[in-house]
Amino acid sequence: MPVAIGNYIALSAVMFFLGVAGVILRRNPLVTLMSIELMFNAANLLFMAFARAWLANAGQVFAFLVITVAAAEAAIGLAIVVTTFRDEKNVDVDEIRLMRG
Amino acid sequence: MNAVHHVMGADGSYPLLVALWLLPLAGAIACWAFGPQLKTAAGWLASAVVGASFVLVALSWGAGTQHAGGALGAHQALFSWIPGFDLGLLLDPLSLLWALIITGVGFLIHFYSMGYMDGDRAYARFFAYMNFFVFAMLTLVLSDNFVGLLVGWGLVGLASYFLIGFWFERPIAAAAARKAFVLNVVGDVAIMFAIFAIVATVHSTAFGDAFSATGAYGPGLLFVICVALFIGAAAKSAQIPLHTWLPDAMEGPTPVSALIHAATMVTAGVYLIARCAPLWNASHDAQLLAGTIGGLTAVAGAILGCAQWDIKRILAYSTMSQIGYMIMGVGVGAYEGGVAHFFTHAFFKAQLFLASGLIIHALADEQDIRRMGGLRTKMPFAFWAILTGVLSICGIPGFSGFFSKDRVIYGALQHGHPWLYAAGIVTAGLTAYYMFRLLFVTSLGEYRGDAASDSAHHPHAPAWIMGVPVGVLIVPTVAIGGVLMFGGDDSPWARYFAPQFGAQSLPAPAISEGLTSIVVLLFVIAGFAIAWWRYATKAAQADAVARLARESARMPALLTNLFYFDAVLDLLFVRSAQLFGTLSARVFDPHIIDGAVRELAFVTRTAGVFVQSLETGLVRAYALILALGAAGFIVYYALVAGGLH
Amino acid sequence: MLVLASILLPIAGAALLSALPRDDRNVSRAIGTLVAAATFFMVLFAGNQEWSFRWLSRPFVAAFHFGATPVSFWLSLMLALCTVCAIAATKLPRTRGFTAHMLMLEGSMLGLFLTRDLLTFALFWDLMLIPVFFVLVGWSDRPATAWRYLIYNFSAGLLLLLATAAFGIIYGSTDVIGRSDVHLLGSWAPWIFAGFTVAFLVKTPVWPLHTWMPPTYADLPAPMVAVVGAVQSKAGLYGFIAIALAFMPDYLRQYSGLLIALGAISLVYGAAVALVQQDAKRIVAYSSLSHLGLILIAIAVGNTLALQGAMVYIVAHGLFSAALFMLVGYVEEREGTRSLVRLGGLGKTNPRLAGAFCIACLAALGLPGLAGFVGELIILIGVYQAGYVWPAIVTLVSIVLASAYFLRLYQGIMNGPEVEDLPVRHDLTWVEGLAVAPLLAGLVLVGVQPHAILTAFAGIVK
Repeated sequence: MPVAIGNYIALSAVMFFLGVAGVILRRNPLVTLMSIELMFNAANLLFMAFARAWLANAGQVFAFLVITVAAAEAAIGLAIVVTTFRDEKNVDVDEIRLMRG
Repeated sequence: MNAVHHVMGADGSYPLLVALWLLPLAGAIACWAFGPQLKTAAGWLASAVVGASFVLVALSWGAGTQHAGGALGAHQALFSWIPGFDLGLLLDPLSLLWALIITGVGFLIHFYSMGYMDGDRAYARFFAYMNFFVFAMLTLVLSDNFVGLLVGWGLVGLASYFLIGFWFERPIAAAAARKAFVLNVVGDVAIMFAIFAIVATVHSTAFGDAFSATGAYGPGLLFVICVALFIGAAAKSAQIPLHTWLPDAMEGPTPVSALIHAATMVTAGVYLIARCAPLWNASHDAQLLAGTIGGLTAVAGAILGCAQWDIKRILAYSTMSQIGYMIMGVGVGAYEGGVAHFFTHAFFKAQLFLASGLIIHALADEQDIRRMGGLRTKMPFAFWAILTGVLSICGIPGFSGFFSKDRVIYGALQHGHPWLYAAGIVTAGLTAYYMFRLLFVTSLGEYRGDAASDSAHHPHAPAWIMGVPVGVLIVPTVAIGGVLMFGGDDSPWARYFAPQFGAQSLPAPAISEGLTSIVVLLFVIAGFAIAWWRYATKAAQADAVARLARESARMPALLTNLFYFDAVLDLLFVRSAQLFGTLSARVFDPHIIDGAVRELAFVTRTAGVFVQSLETGLVRAYALILALGAAGFIVYYALVAGGLH
Repeated sequence: MLVLASILLPIAGAALLSALPRDDRNVSRAIGTLVAAATFFMVLFAGNQEWSFRWLSRPFVAAFHFGATPVSFWLSLMLALCTVCAIAATKLPRTRGFTAHMLMLEGSMLGLFLTRDLLTFALFWDLMLIPVFFVLVGWSDRPATAWRYLIYNFSAGLLLLLATAAFGIIYGSTDVIGRSDVHLLGSWAPWIFAGFTVAFLVKTPVWPLHTWMPPTYADLPAPMVAVVGAVQSKAGLYGFIAIALAFMPDYLRQYSGLLIALGAISLVYGAAVALVQQDAKRIVAYSSLSHLGLILIAIAVGNTLALQGAMVYIVAHGLFSAALFMLVGYVEEREGTRSLVRLGGLGKTNPRLAGAFCIACLAALGLPGLAGFVGELIILIGVYQAGYVWPAIVTLVSIVLASAYFLRLYQGIMNGPEVEDLPVRHDLTWVEGLAVAPLLAGLVLVGVQPHAILTAFAGIVK
C-alpha cells in the first residue's frame, strides 16, 4: 500500500527544519555541515516522493545531481574546517570571523 | 551662395597691385629673419621697400581711377578662401588715396626712424614690425571684402601692439600695448558681428554684394550692422568711450606714434565708414549716431588736450579730437570732407609728431613740456616745423588744415546737424588754445630742464636723416590743401571723389560757407589769444616755472582723471570679469561642483559603513538571516500575494 | 592593412621601448620619434583604406573594423603630428617609460579615431585613459589627480559602454561608424543618446563636468598634456560628430538648446577663470574649456557652415593648444616654475622662445589670418545663420576675454623687466624649435588656406 504523499512532505519538512535549526544553533562546524546534509536530504526525499507520485523521472535525476553537489560541498567544507583547525586549534564557528566587514 | 556677385572695380590682372601689397610683407620677413645679419641695413631695406611700394601705388593711379564698364577702379581676384568666399584686391579712388598716404608718409617715417632708432638693441625688429604694419594696413584698405578687411584690421592691431610694446621690458609699455590690443579686439568682434549679419542676408562678404542691395537688410538690421561696424571704427579710431588706449599708446617710439597712432591706422575707422557709405546713406539713425559720437569725441579730445603736460599725450588727444572731426564728417554723410581732413591731418600730424620726436630725441627722452622752454632759439628747425603744423591744425586760412576742417564743419550743417556744426566750431577754438599752449610752453622763455639740449651733441643722431622727412612734410602741411581743395566743387579734390561718392544735392543752409569760415576763424583767434595771454606775454614768460606749477596744482580732478573713462571702464568690465573669474575659481569649482561630487562620495561611503555593520562574520547569523528571509518570502506569497500557484 | 598597422605600430613601439635594456634618454627619444613619425606617414597614406575582421555575431554584430572617415582622418593626422612633436621635445626623467606611455596613448587614440565599430570605440575609450593614469601616478607628485582623472573618465566610459551595448542590442550591429543610413529610434533611444552625450561631455570636458581637467592638465608632464589637451579632448567632440550627430540627429536637435547653453557657459566660465589664474598651465587648461565650448555650440547648431567651422577649429585648437602646452613646458623646464607671479622678462634673452610663444598665443586668441580665427568666424557665421544670435554674441564676448588672458599669459612670462633670481638659460635649442615648428606652420597654413579641411564635411552633412 503506497504511503500518502502528505507523510513524505511532513517528514521532509521536519528534516529540513531540524537542519536549519542545527545550522543556526550549533557552533561545531562538523555539526553545521551535517545539518546542511540533512537539509539536502530533506529536499532529496521530496524529489523522490514527487517523482514516485507523478511518475516523472526528472525528480530522480535531480536527486542524483543534489547528491553529487552535496558530496562536493562536503569535501570543500571539510577541507575548510581542517585548514582552519590547523591554524586556529579551534572548532567553534563563532570564533572564526575572518569575513567580518 | 548662388546669388549674383557684384564686383566693385574692373576685373583684371594687376600685377603691380599684388606687388605693392606684398612687398612690405617680404621686407618684414627679411628684416625679421635676417635682422642680426642686416644690422643697420635693415633700416635702408625697410625704407626702400616702402618707397618702392609708394612708387607702385603712384604707377597704379590710372588703374585706380579708371572707369571701365560702369565699374570704378581695379579689381584683382586672389584666391578662394573658403568655398563661396573669395578674396581679392580692390583699388578705387578711396583705397588709392589711403594707399598713397600709407606708403608715402610711411616711407618718410621709415626714413626718419633710421635716425630715431639708431643704436637701439632691436633695430631690425623695429623695421620688421614697421614693414609688417604697412603690409597689414594695405591689406585693410585694398581688400575687396569684409573678411579681408577684418584680417587687415586685426593685423594692424597686432602691429600696433608690437610697436607700442616695442620696449617690452618696461611694464608700462607692455600694459599699454595690451590695453590697446584688447580694446581693438572689441572693435574686431563688432565687425565680425556685422559680417554675420551681412552674410546671413546676402550670402557673401564682398563689398559689391553687401552694398548692391541695401534694401535687403531691412531698416532694423541695417542699423544693427551700421552700429556694429561703427563700434569697430570707434575702437580703432579712438572714439569715445573706446578711446582710452590711444593716449597710453604714446609709450611706443615716436615714429610709431606718427605713423600708426596719427597718420594711418587710427584713421581706419574713417576709411571703414567711407567704404560702407552705401550702408550709412541708407540708415539715417546710424548717420546720426556716428556723427554725434564723432562730434563728442572732437570736443572731449580737445578739452582733455588742454590739460595734458606730456607733449606726446597732447598730440594724442589732439589726434583723437581731429579723428572726431573726420568721423563726424563721414558719419553725417560729408564723406569727401571727412576724407579730406584725413588727408591733410596725415601730413600735419605726422609733421607734429616727427618734430616733437626731434625734441624728445635731443632732450634725452624728456616729454614733459614743463621741463622744456626756450627751444625757439635752441632748436629753431624743430620750432619752425612745429609752428607750421600748429598753424595747419588750427585752420589758419591758406594752410592745409583750413580747407579740410571747414569742409567737415560746414558739411555737418549742410547735412542738417546744427549741433554738430556748433561742436565743430567750438572744437576749432579749443584746438587753437591747446596747440598754441604747446608751442608757447615749449618754445618761449628760458629752458627749464636739465638735459643736454643741443641735438648736434647727442651721441647718435645723424641730424639730417631725421631732419629731411620733417622738412619734406612741411610742404604738404602748408600747401597741399590749397592746391587740391581750393575752389569748392570744382576743386581737383571734389572731381577726384565725385565718381566715388556721387554728387549730392543738398538744400543750401541759412549760413554760407564764407560766413562759417569767418566764425571759425574768430574762435581760433580767441583760443590763440587766451593761450598768448596765459603763456606768451612777457610776465608769463618771466614767471613761467611758478605759473606752470600753479596750473598743474589747480587742474580740476575731472580733467586730470580724464573724465573718469578709464576708471568706469575698469570697474564695469575688467574688475567685474576678474571678480567673476575669482568667484568661479575659488568658490564655484571647488565648493559647488566638486562639492557635489564629494557629497556623492560621502553618501556612498556612509551607506557602505552602514551595510558593513551587517557583515558580522558570524556564520550562524548569516544562516539566521537567510532563514528569516526565506520565511519572509513564504509568508508574503502565502498571505499577501494570495497563495502560491 | 596599412590602417591596422598604423594602430599597431605605436603599440609595438611601446613594447620595444619597454624591452630596451637601458634607460637612455637619447635612444628612447629617437626610437619614439621615429615610430611616431612613421605612424604619421602611415596614417597619411592609409587615407580611406579599410580593414575589417568579424568579432561578435551574437547578441549583436561587432567587428574590428578600422578605416578613416574624412573627419577622423584629420583628427588622426593631428594626433600623429602632435605625438611626434611632443616626443621629440621630451626631457623627462625615465624617458624610456614615458615615451612608451606616449606611444601607447597614440596607439589607443588612433584606434579610437579610426575604428568603425562602436564596441571597439568604447574599448579604446577606456584603453586611452590608462597611459595617462600611469604617467600621472609615475611622473607627478600628486596621485590624487590621477585617481580623479580615472574616476571621472571611467564613469564616462561606463556610460558609454552601457549605451553602446544598448545600441547594439536594439540596432543589431555596432559596426556602424561612418554609415549614413543608421538611425536609432524607439523608446530606448533617448536613454542611449543621454548615455553617449554625458560620456562625451565629461571627456571634452564641458561645464559643469570639467573639474577633473585643470588639475590633470596642470600635473601631467608637458609632452603628454600637449597630446591629451590637444587631441584627447577631441574624443568627446568626435563622438558627438561621428555617433550622436550621425545616428541620433533628432535627439541632438531636440536637446540642442541645452547643449548650446552648456557650451556658452563653458565659453564664458573658462575665459573668466583663465583671466585670474596664476599658473600658466591652468590658464591654457581653462582656455581649452572655453574654446571647446564653442565647438560644442557648433555641433549642437549643426548646419553645414557651423560643422565645417567646427572641423577647422578642432584642428586649429589641437595645433595651438599642443604648441602652448609644449612652450609652457619649455618655460617650466628652464625656470623651474610656471607661476606668472614669479616669471617675467624672458623675452629679452629668449627671443626665439618668445616668438614661438607669441604665435601660439595669437592663434589661440583668434588673430585674423591664423587658424583660430578661421574656425571662429565660420562657426559663428553658421551659428548666426541658424538664428542663434545670443550664442554668437556670448562667443564674441569670450573672444575679447581670450585676447585679455592670452596677452596676460604672454606678457606675464615674456615681457617686463628680467626677474633677478630666475636662472637665465639658453634660448630654444634646434630640437626644441623643430618640435614646435610644424605646429606653428600648421596654424599659419590653416589660417591662410582652410580649404582642405573644409572639404571634410562636404559629404557628411545632408
